[in-house]
Amino acid sequence: MSEATHFSAGIDVETVERIAEERDEPKWLRATRLDALEALSDLDYPDVIQTPGRTWTNLADLDFEDLVAPFDQTEEKDWVVAEEATVVPFHEALNDDDLEALVKEHFGSVVDPQENRLTALSTALFTTGTVVYVPSQVDAEDVKIRTTMNGRSLFNYTLVVTEQNASVTILERQDTGHEARSASNRASGETASSEDAPESEERYYSGIVEVAAGENSYVQYGSLQDFDQTTYNYTLKRGVTDTYATVNWIEGNLGSRLTKTEVSTLLEGDSSESKIVGAFFGHDDQHFDLDSKVWHRAEHTTADLVTRGVIDDVSRSVYEGVQDVGADAWDTNSYQRENTLMLSDESEADASPKLIINNHDTEASHSATVGQIDQEDLFYMEGRAVPPETAENMLVEGFFVPVLEEVEVAELREDLEERIHERLRD
Amino acid sequence: MGPNGSGKSTTSKVIAGHPAYDVTEGEILLHLEADDFDDVEEIPEDARTWNLLELEPNERAALGVFLAFQYPAEIEGITMTNFLRTALNAKIEERDELLFGEGEENEEEEEAGYESSPMEGPADEGEVGVAEFQSLLEEKMDLLDMDAKFAQRYLNAGFSGGEKKQNEVLQAAILEPTIAVLDEIDSGLDIDRLQDVADGINALRDEQGTGVLQITHYQRILDYVEPDTVHIMLDGEIVKEGGPELAAELEDKGYDWVREQVYNAA
Repeated sequence: MSEATHFSAGIDVETVERIAEERDEPKWLRATRLDALEALSDLDYPDVIQTPGRTWTNLADLDFEDLVAPFDQTEEKDWVVAEEATVVPFHEALNDDDLEALVKEHFGSVVDPQENRLTALSTALFTTGTVVYVPSQVDAEDVKIRTTMNGRSLFNYTLVVTEQNASVTILERQDTGHEARSASNRASGETASSEDAPESEERYYSGIVEVAAGENSYVQYGSLQDFDQTTYNYTLKRGVTDTYATVNWIEGNLGSRLTKTEVSTLLEGDSSESKIVGAFFGHDDQHFDLDSKVWHRAEHTTADLVTRGVIDDVSRSVYEGVQDVGADAWDTNSYQRENTLMLSDESEADASPKLIINNHDTEASHSATVGQIDQEDLFYMEGRAVPPETAENMLVEGFFVPVLEEVEVAELREDLEERIHERLRD
Repeated sequence: MGPNGSGKSTTSKVIAGHPAYDVTEGEILLHLEADDFDDVEEIPEDARTWNLLELEPNERAALGVFLAFQYPAEIEGITMTNFLRTALNAKIEERDELLFGEGEENEEEEEAGYESSPMEGPADEGEVGVAEFQSLLEEKMDLLDMDAKFAQRYLNAGFSGGEKKQNEVLQAAILEPTIAVLDEIDSGLDIDRLQDVADGINALRDEQGTGVLQITHYQRILDYVEPDTVHIMLDGEIVKEGGPELAAELEDKGYDWVREQVYNAA
């Protein structure tokens, strides 16, 4: 493959060894990283939606050579830690024998490091991360992780493990620091050839989140992605449920130049549940490629996938939702709804809800719509003296309400509302 | 009054400025007096007569044109309270700008902070504040015998046919229009709700001085809201006019009677 040589520039055994060495990592992790590195060039990019004559997201066209800077990974992380739960930086967890055993047990068990080329790249190069461990019976209300990206690249890893009857609500935010913005300005000022400037301002973020939800435990994981619009973002979040466990995701995407995400749950325990709630708002030339997936692999499992998004200007969005009901998944309930609202004639959207049923004992529904503001709604509001722009803004905010009502974390709901409000009035 | 397809709803939508209609000829004139508004002392001479066709739909509404829709839009995610307060404040602001050329002064208020949720709009934006509006809304809802819980429901979403019609009259009561065009406000109403809606229309006319152009097929509502004049529309034209007795006669004899009269005369 020609990409193999493309990737080898600066991303080699030496690089990976150095990252592991500097962090004094255990042998198993170093080996996992090197295996991922070795597999890299043989692996494919994550699947993307193809419609006749068109591949919506061309990940292979990204200039990884420029975007990936293994030793320019700087960030600020803030944690708000709940009592009784363990929330520690990834490498700090490795210094603790019990936690190291926990990480070793779960690392790569939910998301295979070699699932695709970008997960392998992330595994080989990650320098930062968080481990959240919630012991049996503990109720951890308010864990917050804020990652502010300052370097050119950032590879981030998050592991969440809950024991029996535990409960945790995690709120993750990702954004770009002011340092990074001014640093890229400086860099462009110093570059001899000014044509290089735009490239050097681009950034790459890659995040992998693994959630292992123990028996009858509850995990709510909310995320608000608000990177600046020079950032290319690849994120894969996946949870696996034990019996009676619940994993709920809230996925807010506002920032980045391009985002490719998968948020998914493997319902492996009987009577386990998952809800995936998504909201996105693209403008300018942003590109969102968002997947929600659930695999029903046990009896009496329930899934509910709800996403709403708005795109404006020349932005694009592609949504793929998959509900996969396995042959042994008796008594499955699975629902999926997606709606995209286009605010401009130049924006483009595609949505593909997929339902795969291999067990007849299933109650399921799936739907997706792509549309524009209803002109009759607009006229109705204008007929009551509301000016057209105000009416349109209210209709857009109203459009998001059904998903915002699903967001149980008040702080995240309010932040989303506020960012939507701001974006409409930019 | 007029049979289906005679042009009644089209007329009402043209008056309100529906974008689907392109008016190629004529004018629609609205003449305003200071006492059309509770809070206006005097209207400048050059701002008393307006050709509605030169105004946007929201500007027409700001000057007091109100269309009660036959099929009101159902809008999810916008509460009645939020919508109506926004509408009332927008109406006052736009009206003042049209009549007096004001309006720029309010720009700073746009930046005002949120009370609770941005979805409910900044708390102190606009002429009518949250608390003041709340009591106005409650008063008008009470007048129409509407349950207070409607205030927090989404605009017409999941409303029954009758509730939607009641809501149209409520909105007119809040916005205090100069002229209200009520397009089949009486269709789909049971007798109790017809009474409520009629009370609301009578209050508009008698207490707020609103001019009412009521479009209907049936005599029924006219037992509760007595018209000054009845116009009969046929094939896009007003072909006959008379007092309230004309509606009664029509009820007896039907539109064929009108049609025969008109075409025999021609």
